[in-house]
Amino acid sequence: MLKKTVIVRPELCVGCMQCMIRCAQAHSQSKSLACAIREEILAKPRIHLGVGPENKPFPNKCRHCEPAPCQEACMPWAIRDDIAQGLKIVDPTRCIGCGMCAMACPYYVIRFYQDAGAPERPSVAVKCDGCHERVAAGAIPACVAACKTGALTFDEVNLYLKQGTNRLANAVYGVKA
Amino acid sequence: MRYVVVGLHAAGRSACQWLRKASPAAEIIGVDPSPLPVYSRPLISYVLAGEMAPPGMGVADDDFWNRLGVSVLADKAVGLEAGHGRLLLKSGQELAYDRLLLACGARPRPVETAGDAAGEVCFFRGRRDLDKVLARVRPGGTAAVLGGGLVGFKLTMGLLKRGMQVTLIVTSPRPLSLNVDAYVGQWVGERLQNTPGVTLLTSTSVTSIDTGTDKPLRLALDSGAALDVDLVAAGKGVLPNTGWLADSGLECDYGVLADAFLRSSDERVYVAGDLAQAPDIVHGDRRTNAVWPVAVEQGRVAALNMAGLRAEYAGSLAMNAIPVFGSRMISVGLVNPSLTRGCDFVDVGTPRGSYLKLVFREERLVGAVGLDAPPRLGELAFAVKRGLRRRDIPAGWLANVQNAAPLAAPGGALVGNARFG
Repeated sequence: MLKKTVIVRPELCVGCMQCMIRCAQAHSQSKSLACAIREEILAKPRIHLGVGPENKPFPNKCRHCEPAPCQEACMPWAIRDDIAQGLKIVDPTRCIGCGMCAMACPYYVIRFYQDAGAPERPSVAVKCDGCHERVAAGAIPACVAACKTGALTFDEVNLYLKQGTNRLANAVYGVKA
Repeated sequence: MRYVVVGLHAAGRSACQWLRKASPAAEIIGVDPSPLPVYSRPLISYVLAGEMAPPGMGVADDDFWNRLGVSVLADKAVGLEAGHGRLLLKSGQELAYDRLLLACGARPRPVETAGDAAGEVCFFRGRRDLDKVLARVRPGGTAAVLGGGLVGFKLTMGLLKRGMQVTLIVTSPRPLSLNVDAYVGQWVGERLQNTPGVTLLTSTSVTSIDTGTDKPLRLALDSGAALDVDLVAAGKGVLPNTGWLADSGLECDYGVLADAFLRSSDERVYVAGDLAQAPDIVHGDRRTNAVWPVAVEQGRVAALNMAGLRAEYAGSLAMNAIPVFGSRMISVGLVNPSLTRGCDFVDVGTPRGSYLKLVFREERLVGAVGLDAPPRLGELAFAVKRGLRRRDIPAGWLANVQNAAPLAAPGGALVGNARFG
């Protein structure tokens, strides 16, 4: 079976930004929203809301490319592979904040902030880590858990594509999906 | 099948990883004279600035190579008989190969100047250069840095942090003249001039370096002035290490000539990294682009082709990102004013205090340069590779570069694990 991944359907997004809030919460020290906003180093979202044509919202997150341009550009080898989950994860203790990864990323998903994982560094690369700890514990990524409209789902790609085929069939035969 | 990889830095290490992925059972031999662990060369500037301890530069130790199943020979390649498929090592050993990757990089471009102490110039390329510079650092002393490129700039900032007074001597009218456009070059020049401890001399070159009386070295400048310093360091670019390949039978020009599959003129020999004179996307000719991401990418493409998987190389693209005075400077493709004559420029509406300029040639995006701009250069680099036209860039992207949806994003469903290459 293929690995599950976060699938984004921007056309379903209403721009509520719940995914951003829950993402930051999931990456905070306390994992609690009420406490997270009082932490010394604020956790930041790793999913961002882009603005498309006619101000349409566009949830934008790391695609965990393979081969990953960010990983190829990283000079201190701070981006490691999580082979089991098919993820590219930044190690903040090795990151030197040089910006090469953000320069190489074709999707504009890497930002630079102080991170609780390496508090001594002024800024390190911060990007989606696929909520690998949550997923390993049996949960789904925080952004997906927050999404109420189905714009973000956590699924196996071929299953998703099969659903797409069914939607297309329904559209062709005039059935409302 | 026996693969031999000469040089285990950016390109060689990447090639070994991809060779192993593509040929799980093949024998891979890496040849590199430097002791393990293999370290990341660009990090020497961070060690000089005191932002990193020297062991932090190490990226691939014994364990890494063992897990990858690569036998590492601590030896230097000194000759190649491409026709016979034999590599000659300094120890006298001859190594036969089925496929060979040359990834032995480049060396600092020498400084051509007169004087009895011309040999005292330190370069800034590897660990040994770093040790040499550190041994000559005198807090409160004076240093001269030759060359206003990225290495010269990093040397200046690093020596400043070590407590030295630095004079940066640049032949061009402004620093970073090859890397960025006139605006950013001017901005960096002004910041340098206003930095306590730094003296910037533009349109100036050194005519001779002699043993001094007050200080160890005395520099004579073409302006007629003289400069007494404790240390002279230079960052004047690099020259590919092609000297040892003179009798190899490979076609060499500036570097080793490589085709669109990174194969040299011998079908069993491939080339990657700073040594490779390979197709360049925006220039259209074959040239070397001695930057880290290009080396790693070429290592991957060369490895796939060595393993018999046909992987065409789209071409290299010059790109750089460095922090300058708390700002982040980025450049990709054609931005050097001497190469962008006849091009159209578009200043993108950026948040206050930042700058982003796109360069178009015949309606196609060929370069971009930015200062503190939102980090969207990756998108632009891929746009350059795809030959994005000006009219394909949505007005909303240009008007709201901080928040616009990415250029590279296809419409509809977006799935994780995008694939490149």
